[in-house]
Formats: sequence, C-alpha cells, structure tokens
Amino acid sequence: MTAVHPRARDYPQSELPHLIPRESELTAGVIIEPGKSYGFFTDTTRCIGCKACEVACKEWNALPADNLGLTGMSFDNTGALSANTWRHVTFVEKIGADGERVTDMPPYQSNWLMMSDVCKHCHNAPCLEACPTGALFRTEFDTVVVQQDICNGCGYCQPACPFGVVEVSAIDGKAHKCTLCYDRLKGGLEPACAKACPTDSIQFGEVGELVERAKDRVAELHDRGASDAYLYGAPGTPGATGGLDHLHAFFLLTDAPEVYNLPAAPTRASRRTYPSLGTGLAVMAALATAAAFIMGERR
Amino acid sequence: MSETATATAIMPEPVGRRPPPAPYEGSAAERIAKRYVERHWQGETYYGRNVVKPSPFSWVVWVYIFVGGLSGSAAILAALADLFGDEESKSIVSRGRHLAAIGSAIGAPLLIADLHTPQRFFNMLRIYRATSPMSIGSWILTGFGAGAVATAGADLLGWRAIARVMQVPTALLGAGMSVYTAALLSATNTPFWAAMPRLLAARFGSSAMASAAAALSLAERIDGNDAGARKLDRIAAVATAAELAVTMATPGRLRAVGLERPVRQDKWAMIDRFGAAGLGVVVPLGCYAVARLGRKQNRTLGVAAALGILAGGLLMRMSLMYAGQDSANSAQDYFRFTERPRRERGG
Repeated sequence: MTAVHPRARDYPQSELPHLIPRESELTAGVIIEPGKSYGFFTDTTRCIGCKACEVACKEWNALPADNLGLTGMSFDNTGALSANTWRHVTFVEKIGADGERVTDMPPYQSNWLMMSDVCKHCHNAPCLEACPTGALFRTEFDTVVVQQDICNGCGYCQPACPFGVVEVSAIDGKAHKCTLCYDRLKGGLEPACAKACPTDSIQFGEVGELVERAKDRVAELHDRGASDAYLYGAPGTPGATGGLDHLHAFFLLTDAPEVYNLPAAPTRASRRTYPSLGTGLAVMAALATAAAFIMGERR
Repeated sequence: MSETATATAIMPEPVGRRPPPAPYEGSAAERIAKRYVERHWQGETYYGRNVVKPSPFSWVVWVYIFVGGLSGSAAILAALADLFGDEESKSIVSRGRHLAAIGSAIGAPLLIADLHTPQRFFNMLRIYRATSPMSIGSWILTGFGAGAVATAGADLLGWRAIARVMQVPTALLGAGMSVYTAALLSATNTPFWAAMPRLLAARFGSSAMASAAAALSLAERIDGNDAGARKLDRIAAVATAAELAVTMATPGRLRAVGLERPVRQDKWAMIDRFGAAGLGVVVPLGCYAVARLGRKQNRTLGVAAALGILAGGLLMRMSLMYAGQDSANSAQDYFRFTERPRRERGG
C-alpha cells in the first residue's frame, strides 16, 4: 500500500487483499464473460446532468482535458464527443425557450433534457468497416475498440461514423473513442461511467437483457403519463436504421432524436462503396471502349 | 459453469453475426419511435452544433485524387494505344506509361504524408477490408504503382514483351485508380459526398480519362506529333462530354436529398460552377467544337482545351472536397441527409 491516510488504518475491514472477483456482479448485476454482447442502456429520464460519467471516464482512461472554457450556450461546456472525451452530457434547456412565462410543468425533470452521449458500439460499425489497418476491431465482448499500436491515423473512421464519435487526436495522431472500458471488462469490472452514475441513468449489461429492461422502463414511464418516452438504437427504433442493425449503446429519449444531436435514420457508410465503384468502373469501361475505337482509326 | 470465467482465459468464437435481440414492440412507444424515423426533420438541432465530424484530410487528398486519376487513366490510354494504335501512337504508348509511373510515384508519398502517424503507413497492407474504400484503394495503388513502374521500366529498357504483358493488369488497376476515390468519399457520412456515390464516381472517372488524354495530347503537341494529339483530343472530347452529362445531373440529385445549399451559395459552388464545369468542361468542349468546324489544324485550340481540362479537373476535386467538409460541419445538411423519407425519394 502506498500513501494511505492514517485514519484509514482504523478501518482495516475496508482494505481489500485483491480485486473483488467478478465485481460487476455486485455493481451491475451482470457477470462479464467473453462471447456475449455487452453495452449501455442510457435512460435520459434519470440523468441529472452531474457529469460524473464524464469525470469517471477521464479518470479511468487518463484522457487529456478538452475544450477548456465556456461554450456560452448552456451548462454543456464539454461540447461534443471527441478523441479525448468519450462521455458527453448534453443539456437541452427547454423551459421558457420562447420567452413566455411557464405556468405548468411536464411530469419529470422540469423538461430539462440531459443525455450522457457515448460511442454506440454499432452492431455493424461503420468505423470498423472503414478501418484499412484492422486497428478497429470487434472484441470478445462484441464492442468496438481501436488498437492504439496499429492505428496509423489515416482518419477514415472519422467521417464514416454516423454519430461523430471517433476522432483522430491532434496529440498522438491516432484515432480514439470509447472502448466500453475494454480493460475493465477483461478484469470483471463494470465500465467506469456506468459504475459512477449515481442515478443509474447509465446501465451496463448484456445487450439483450438491457433491451428488455429498457422496454419495461418505457412501459412504466408511459403508465406514469410520460407518453413521449421511446427507445433510440434498440432493434427496430430510430438510430437502428440504414444497415446499422442496432446499437449496443442505446438510449431512452423523450423528444425528437435531433434535439439530442442524434440522427433519426443514420446509415452504414460502407453501403455506398460498391454502387460507387461499380458505376465508376462501368463508366471507365465505356470510355475505354470509345478510346480503343478512336485509337484504332486509320486514315 | 461461469465460475472461473475470467475474461482473459477464454477466447470466444469469432464475433460476426450474433442473433440480435427480439424486435422492439412497445405499443405507444413503438408508434412514437416509428414517427421519428418516418417524418421529415422539423429543424431541431442541438444549439446548431455539428453532428458528424468532417474528415481530417488536408489539401493533399484532393491533389492526390486528381493525380491518381490522371495516372490511372494514362495507363489505360497507353495500353489502348499499344494494342489498337498505329505508328503515330508509338510516342503515346511510351509517354502514357511514363506518366502512369510518375503519377503513382507522386501519389503514394502524398497519401503517406497525409497520415497522422505516417511511420506506420505499411499497416495499410496489414489486412484487406472489402467494406473500406481506403483499404481497397491502398491495394489498388500498391498494385498499380508496382505495375506502372514495371511497365515504364521495361519500356525504358526496351523490353517490349514485358511491357506489353505488364501493361494489361496495370491498365485494369488504372480503371480502379480513376474511380475508387469517389467510393472513398461517398462511403462516409459526410452528407454532400454520401448523397451521390454513383454521380461522384462517374464524374471522377470521366474527368480522369479526360485529364489523361489532355495531358498526353499536350505532350504530343509539344513533340510535334499533331496526328496523335488529335486522336487524344477526340478521346478527351468524348470523356468531357460524359463529364458534362454527369455535372448536369448533379444539382437535381442534391435537390432531391435536400443538400442544394452547398452547391448553390458558397465559394466552393462558384469554383465548381465556373472552374470545374466552366473551365474544365464547357470551354474545352467549345474549343473542340470550333476546331472541328474550322476543319483546319488549330494547335492553339487543342492546347487551350487541354489546359482547361487539367485545371478544371483539379478545381473540381478541390471544390467537391471542401463542399463536403462544409456539409459535414452543418447539422442541417446531416439531418436532412438522414431523413428517411427524403433519402427514399432521392433514390
């Protein structure tokens, strides 16, 4: 043990001889095993905008500070997901937006919409499909991770992502994004953001199980009068479109996806590869045929 | 059972297609979700901030798209001149082969320079990824570069048989060189590029063929081979006419998907209209038409047309590149592009 506060020694029972095996079972109710799909269910109706997830993520992953200063638009001074920011809490302040005094309140959250955004770990991940080096790969937990020792910073994953998540870092010239705490999953730990979330707005678990839990939550909200709740990114919902199939990190929203800066019907970029290549090669074949005739003319 | 399952110990079967969770069927919630997918975007944004990130490509990329396309098509023209041409075509064969080799020799270092970790450029050849035009293109460029250098080397050394054999795969890869960059731009979520995968490829391809013919025609004229230059001028005219058709089809396509803004207003639109379409397409076609009507050998018109095609081709790549970057930075463009109804109407 390194520097421990002297008073801490009064409580020897709090010292652990080793990591708790399968700690995630205690903190998230799930045993992490390779070969299963893991993800996040982010329930925005539970988010209080504390940004503990942002801090926990920065701390665990030792990410550099980003965007110091104020954006001047809302309490969101983080701005966006980036190479150095893998959790980003959006703040949509809707009360009094049109300059009129508010006389009644919607049933929860005072209609302040907050959402902790993260890499969606798409089932068919456009960044992974775009990566020419194989640096982006699918892990044994069905998540999408950039291998830092392979990425050569070509940056092609960056425009491929339909959510603007992955980014090439100006600091080290490699692409970075949320790893769904790959190292923690390997060690049986729940991802840092989900563990830090004080309201369980961020829930970690097996994707199929999370979807069931999310559906129950939506039904519960509808019963309680929050009739605008729906899922984004679960199978058959907005976000799970255009060949992406479904998102392993999905959300419960209460307003249009665009309000949270999410596209309603994003698409898989690689779909456009062969229509483009095929048309181009057909044009080249036609032009080459014409050129062959012109070349072959004798006078 | 799972008692001893520490993550490191067990390697799973390769993760490809796992059965997805059951479809979502909450009654009221499902209706809401469906409405958001099927409606038109109502103008909501998150404080107007952009959604997707623009590509981190520098000016190097649009210069490469031009150079790579030109050298790819030059290899095609050299092979066609060798296989179908007459005595007058001999100099075209050699020049085309040299141009292809020089182009790929310039192109590869340009691309490596645009990597953010260039010392790892060889990782591009670590795998082949069929869903990634960047990977497809890396292999095309590698094969084409090797083939073009071998063909040009054999040509210089007078090993005609080797050059004749090597030129065939080189020309085939040259077709890929001319158009794969369009797939590279389109297979992204940058709205302006993603909206027109087919048109972009047709435009890059026809422009590459026109540029190669124009460059070779210039060289033939300087060398005094007017008969060869006129053949190349006719090829350039055909390719430029094809480019004109594609250019004219583009605004309609962009209007259909709600992206007319970038082509209508800003400076890239002006460069596209007057530089790429005007200087690169309309002026050369006019020159060729006048030269043909005049029925006399007019070197000036041929040279002017060739220069117009080359300058226009470069400006076209530049304007499309930056118009795309602007559209990626626009929440409006992206939300319109990701509207399902609009996308379906746009085809």
